[in-house]
Amino acid sequence: MSDSAQLSHCSNKDYDFFYEGLAGGKLLLQKCAKCGVLRNPPGPMCPRCRSLEWTTLSSKGTGTIHSYIIHYHPPLPGFDTPHPVAVVDLDDGVRMLGAVHGVKPDKIRIGMKVKSAFGQRRGLDAFWFAPVDAADNAAG
Amino acid sequence: MDGLKDRAAIVGIGATEFSKNSGRSELQLALESTTAALADAGLAPEDVDGIATYTMDNNPEVEVIRNLGGKGLKFFSRAPYGGGGACAPILHAAMAVATGVANVVVCYRALNERSEYRFGRPQAYQSRTTDGVLHYYQTALHGFMTPAAWVGMGMRRYMHQTGTTADDFANVAISARKHASTNPKAIFYGRPLSRDEYMASRMVVDPFRLFDCCQESDGSVALVITSAERAKHLKQKPALIRAAALSSPEGLVSLADYYTDDIALHDETHFLATQMYAMGRLTPKDIQAAIIYDHFGPIVMPTLEALGFCKRGEAKDFIKNGNIEVGGAMPVNTNGGLVGEGYIHGMNGIAEAVRQVRGTAANQVANVRNVVVTAASGFPTSGLILAAA
Repeated sequence: MSDSAQLSHCSNKDYDFFYEGLAGGKLLLQKCAKCGVLRNPPGPMCPRCRSLEWTTLSSKGTGTIHSYIIHYHPPLPGFDTPHPVAVVDLDDGVRMLGAVHGVKPDKIRIGMKVKSAFGQRRGLDAFWFAPVDAADNAAG
Repeated sequence: MDGLKDRAAIVGIGATEFSKNSGRSELQLALESTTAALADAGLAPEDVDGIATYTMDNNPEVEVIRNLGGKGLKFFSRAPYGGGGACAPILHAAMAVATGVANVVVCYRALNERSEYRFGRPQAYQSRTTDGVLHYYQTALHGFMTPAAWVGMGMRRYMHQTGTTADDFANVAISARKHASTNPKAIFYGRPLSRDEYMASRMVVDPFRLFDCCQESDGSVALVITSAERAKHLKQKPALIRAAALSSPEGLVSLADYYTDDIALHDETHFLATQMYAMGRLTPKDIQAAIIYDHFGPIVMPTLEALGFCKRGEAKDFIKNGNIEVGGAMPVNTNGGLVGEGYIHGMNGIAEAVRQVRGTAANQVANVRNVVVTAASGFPTSGLILAAA
């Protein structure tokens, strides 16, 4: 896929921490330094207490599928189809979007337990979710 | 709250044909529909002193007015959020004419969305702006890159909450195509859809099959808005703007609104409906037809619930037995909708609502007093209630 490879993630000062986390194999969540609430998607201000001070928390990466889609058409640059993507209720307490690898399309369901995994995609650091139970696994 | 109620009216509508390849520029399409809408109203290009459209439209206001041979423009505005903003230019226009900022405002949407570019192709945001980094984080990073995927995520949750199935989706598609089949302007004119054809159509993004998805089309629609007072003296029966509203409920994230408690595509339309009914001093019982932005047909179900035509989770039963067709309790998308008539980014639905108020629609509903129009859900959205005087 070298013809479709991109040089870097599309990021700026609000999002750099997330991609730096991916480079280290971590799913980093933004955490308000004042009131401690987690937030996603990232942003410079805590919507609860309006503090501009924040830190990060390394997510446990475990969670439950809240909803999902399976992309069939048209072809996706850099991804095989069918391609499932889910909104996951992370056990840390925030929702996060991510692709789901290692599951047959007809096995994916709302309520499925998943865990984050890390690797490379199109030459860039990436993460995705994979089923926790072996019975849900594509190989199983 | 009712400051804008019945202060302005849509007095002219115009359109090109809806096709898969217009064979001419988007600017020409905008000029053709605008000229037709002004002629319909009995007004001239020289009368136009305001223009309102979408941020996504590629035709600058000043190029349209210059080519039209118009006079000076005193008002121009653009509404963001794509199809979510579809009704917003009419709100802007109504505010402009109600306050005397402008006298005659044209709204247009012109696009070669099939022949020159297609919204259904994977979209990869690469600009490092506030918008760009957010969209990349939620879309290209995960291979989550088409409108069918973005809207499908909320729809899957809706199905989980309500027990709605593909068989219910089919009912929506069949009703829309029935209306399209008797609308000579529709891309699917003369082509109703059977349940077997629906079920056999390929999966685009599960849960959406091909016939759930709106058309990708070329064409243009234009509308002319002036004050209710002036409308009394023009050529057509006016469609009064009884209510107009914008809606972005608390915590909404555009394109990927998955972070609030309920992601099942109700909240944005509910917040919209609350505003519109209050402004128009109306209840759902006062509405005779609904034009719902069916970028994906099944969205009709949560939208009917959010508009108050049935209770949450009951739309799958409400839509059965032709109940959303002409003659049913709440006729929906009598032109065939974006899935059946064509996709002019929602502007063609507003024109259909005007025809219903006038009594000139191809599939006319009897005794229309108020028609509700919604824009895209899954995004910040907008809406109108158009009314007979």
